[in-house]
Amino acid sequence: MTGKGYILPLVPIGGFFLCWQLFAHFGFINIALFPAPTRIFTELSALFHQEIAGHSVLLTHLIVTLKRLFVAATEGVIIGILVGALMGLSQKVYRFFDPVITWVMPIPGIAMAPLFIVWMGFGDPTIITVGAIATFFPIAYNTSTGIRSVDNQLVRAAQIMGANKARVLTQVYLPWAAVYIFTGIKLGLARCWRTVIAVEFIAAANWGLGYMIWDAAEYLSAGVVYGGIILLAAIFTFIEKGLISPFEKMTIEKWGMVRI
Amino acid sequence: MKTHKKVKITLQNVTKIFGKNAERVVALDGVNLEIYDNKFTTIVGPSGCGKSTLLYLLAGFEKPTSGGILKDGKLIENPGPDRGFVFQDFALFPWRTVLGNVMFGLISNGYDKKQAKKIAMDYINLANLNGFEHAYPHTLSGGMKQRVSIARALAYDPEVLLMDEPFGSLDAQTRKYMQEELVKIWEKFHKTVVFVTHSVIEAVYLSDIIVVMSARPGKVKAVFDVKIPRPRNYTGEQYLKVRKEVLDYLEEEVQKEIEMNNT
Amino acid sequence: MGNGEDLKSLQAKNKVSEIGQFIAPFLVFGLFWEIMVRSGIANVQTLPAPSMILHELYVLIGKKGVLQCHIYHSFYRLALGYVLAVVAGITIGTVLALQKDLRDMFSPVLSLLISVPTIAWIPVLLITMGLGDKTVITAVFLGGVFEITYSTIAGIRSVHQQQINAARIMGVRGLGLFFKVLLPGSLVSIMPALRLSIGYCWRALVGGEMLSAMIKWGVGKMIYDARFWNDVKVMLVGLIVIAFFGVLLDRIMLKRLEHETVEKWGMLVER
Repeated sequence: MTGKGYILPLVPIGGFFLCWQLFAHFGFINIALFPAPTRIFTELSALFHQEIAGHSVLLTHLIVTLKRLFVAATEGVIIGILVGALMGLSQKVYRFFDPVITWVMPIPGIAMAPLFIVWMGFGDPTIITVGAIATFFPIAYNTSTGIRSVDNQLVRAAQIMGANKARVLTQVYLPWAAVYIFTGIKLGLARCWRTVIAVEFIAAANWGLGYMIWDAAEYLSAGVVYGGIILLAAIFTFIEKGLISPFEKMTIEKWGMVRI
Repeated sequence: MKTHKKVKITLQNVTKIFGKNAERVVALDGVNLEIYDNKFTTIVGPSGCGKSTLLYLLAGFEKPTSGGILKDGKLIENPGPDRGFVFQDFALFPWRTVLGNVMFGLISNGYDKKQAKKIAMDYINLANLNGFEHAYPHTLSGGMKQRVSIARALAYDPEVLLMDEPFGSLDAQTRKYMQEELVKIWEKFHKTVVFVTHSVIEAVYLSDIIVVMSARPGKVKAVFDVKIPRPRNYTGEQYLKVRKEVLDYLEEEVQKEIEMNNT
Repeated sequence: MGNGEDLKSLQAKNKVSEIGQFIAPFLVFGLFWEIMVRSGIANVQTLPAPSMILHELYVLIGKKGVLQCHIYHSFYRLALGYVLAVVAGITIGTVLALQKDLRDMFSPVLSLLISVPTIAWIPVLLITMGLGDKTVITAVFLGGVFEITYSTIAGIRSVHQQQINAARIMGVRGLGLFFKVLLPGSLVSIMPALRLSIGYCWRALVGGEMLSAMIKWGVGKMIYDARFWNDVKVMLVGLIVIAFFGVLLDRIMLKRLEHETVEKWGMLVER
C-alpha cells in the first residue's frame, strides 16, 4: 500500500471524529447522548486508572472477558473438531448430529442465555458454556464437511503405499480437512466473540467488557459505551490480523489450498 | 533367445458388478487373464469397458464380485505396498513437497527418515526432477506432477506397477515425452507393469503385451505379443503393422459401445 | 412392464426410509428425555419433559393466543429492518462500487464496522433511541446492512466491462443501466449475502428484543421475560420457535429466490 493508501481511509474516520468533537463542543448535539470524543477518551482513561483491589478497573474487565473467550474458544474448538471428525468418519454419527447442527446452530447464543442462567446461574459458567456452544457448531460442521469431502484418490494412494489406518487418518484426512477446519475455526471464533459479549450483557456478575458496556448504558454513561465499542472493534481487528491471518499464511496458503 | 514367461498375476473368472437391482452395472464379466512377470502389459478398450475397474481390482481398491485374483499364488483383496499405483489425476498430497510425497511410501514401510530421503532423492533424479524436491505440487506442471507420481510409486520398490491412463491429463507434446521417459525408466528395472490406456499408439509404443477388452460387460477379447525392440519408432514398419492389427480389433468394440449408448 | 412401478415404489420406500432416519434420532432422544423426567431422575423444574413442552406450545398458541402475537411482532420488525438494510446496502454499495475514490476512503471503515458484533451496537441504540421498537428495527438493519453493502461492491465490480459497454452502445444509460445490467450481473455476489444477512438480521432481532425493556411483544422478549418466572417451558418453546424460523428463513425463502434467478441463468458456480 502506498502512502496515499494509508492516508485516504483515515479521512472519513478522522473527519467523522473531528465533526463529532466540534458538534459536541458547540452544542449542536446532545452531549449526554453523544459525548465528545475527547470526553470518551477521558472516561475510558478514568476507568483505566480507577482501581479496585489494586488493579485497574478497565483492565480487569478486559482480562475477565479475555479469559472467558479463551476458555470458551478452547472448549468449543476441541470438542468441535472431535465431534466433526467423528461425524466425518462415521455415517451413523453424522446422521445423529447433522439434524442437531441444522436446528440448533441458527439459535443465537444470547437466546440460550436465560435458559442457562436458570441452570447455571449468573457469571462464568453460563457465559463460558454458551460461548463454547456457539463456537462448537461451525467448527463441527466444517470439520465434518472437510473430512467427508476428502479426495478418495489420495486415500487410495496412501493405502497402496502401505499406510495403515492410523497413518491414513493423520496423513491424509487431517491435512485435507485442515482447510475446512481453519474456516470453521475462523467462523467459530467470530461467533464465540459475539456470543460472549452478548451473554455478558445479561449474565455477567459485575465484570467483563460486555458487562461494563451494559452497565454504562443503564447509567447513561455514554462515554464508556462508545469507548467500549471502540475497544471491541480494536481487539477484534487485532485478533483477526495479528493472529489468524499469519497462521493461515504458514499453512494453507503455502500448500496452495486456499478456499476463496 | 527364448524367454521363459513367468506368470505373476492370474485373474480367474473375475466378475465385477456395481450397484443393485435396477441400477446394476456389469463392469467385468468373467475375465480370465495372465499377467507375466517383468513384462509391460497394456490393457486397451473402448470407454466403459472396465479396464480401470480391472486395475482397481488388481490394486485391491475393490474386490471382485465373483472369481479371484492371485498374485504369486496369493489372493489379492486389499491395497498393499507390494504394488504401486499411478493415478490419472496424479493424486499427489498437496501439503507435502515433492520429496515428502516420494518419501511417503518408504516411511510407511518402516524406512527411517535418512534412508528414505536418500532413496527418494535417487528416484527424483531418475525422474529428472532435480532441484524441485522442495517444491509443492501446485507449483508444478502436469508432466512434472506425473513424474513425481511415478517416482513416488516406484520408490518403495513394489513388485508390480499399476498405471491408470497416467498420461491422459497431459497435452500431446508432454504425453509423447512422458512415453519416451517411461520406456527409459522401465528399461532400467523391467518391472511388471500393468498399464491402462485408450490410446493404441501409446500401447504399441510401450508394451510387450497388449490386451484388448470388449465393450461392456468387459471380457478379454484378444491378446497381442509385441516383440519389437525398444526404443520403438512411431513410424516404423513393424510398429505400424501391430498398430493396425490392434486398431482393427478395437474398432469393432468401439462401434459396439457406440451402438449400446445410442439405444 | 413391472419395472416402472417397481422403481416408483422403490423410490417411495427410499424417501420414507430417509425421513424415518432423519427423525429417528429425535424420537430416540425425546423418548429418553421423557423417561428421565417422568422417572424423577431429571428435575422437572430445570428440564421439563418433551410432552410438557409440547403442551406449553399448545397453550401458548391456542389458549392464550400469545405466541402468534409474539411472532407477528418479531417478523414485522425483521421485515422492516431487513428491507431497509437491503435498500441501503445495495444503494451505498453501488455508489462505492462505481466511485473509486469514495471506495478507497470508506472500504477500511466498512471492514472495521463489519467486525463489530451487532449486539455491541445495541447499548448505543438504547441510549440514543430508547428501549422500544425503533431500537430493535435499527439493530436488525445494522445486522444486515454492512454485509449487503460489502457484497454489492464486490458484485458490481465483478460485472464485466464488456457487458456494460454492450448495453451503453444499445443506448442504455444511468438508472436503466443499473437495473438492467449492473444489478442482475452482481446478483451472484449479492444473493449469498442476502441469505447470510437474513440470518444475521434474525439473530440481531432476537438479541435486540431481549435487551429492549420497553417492548411488550416479540419472541426474544418472551424468552427474556420467562426468566423472571424461571419458566423453562416457555423458554424452550421460544428457542424452538427461533430455531424453526431461523432455519425456515434461510432454507426456503431465499433458496427459492436464488434458484429462480442466479441458478437459472447459469451463473452459479458449483463448488
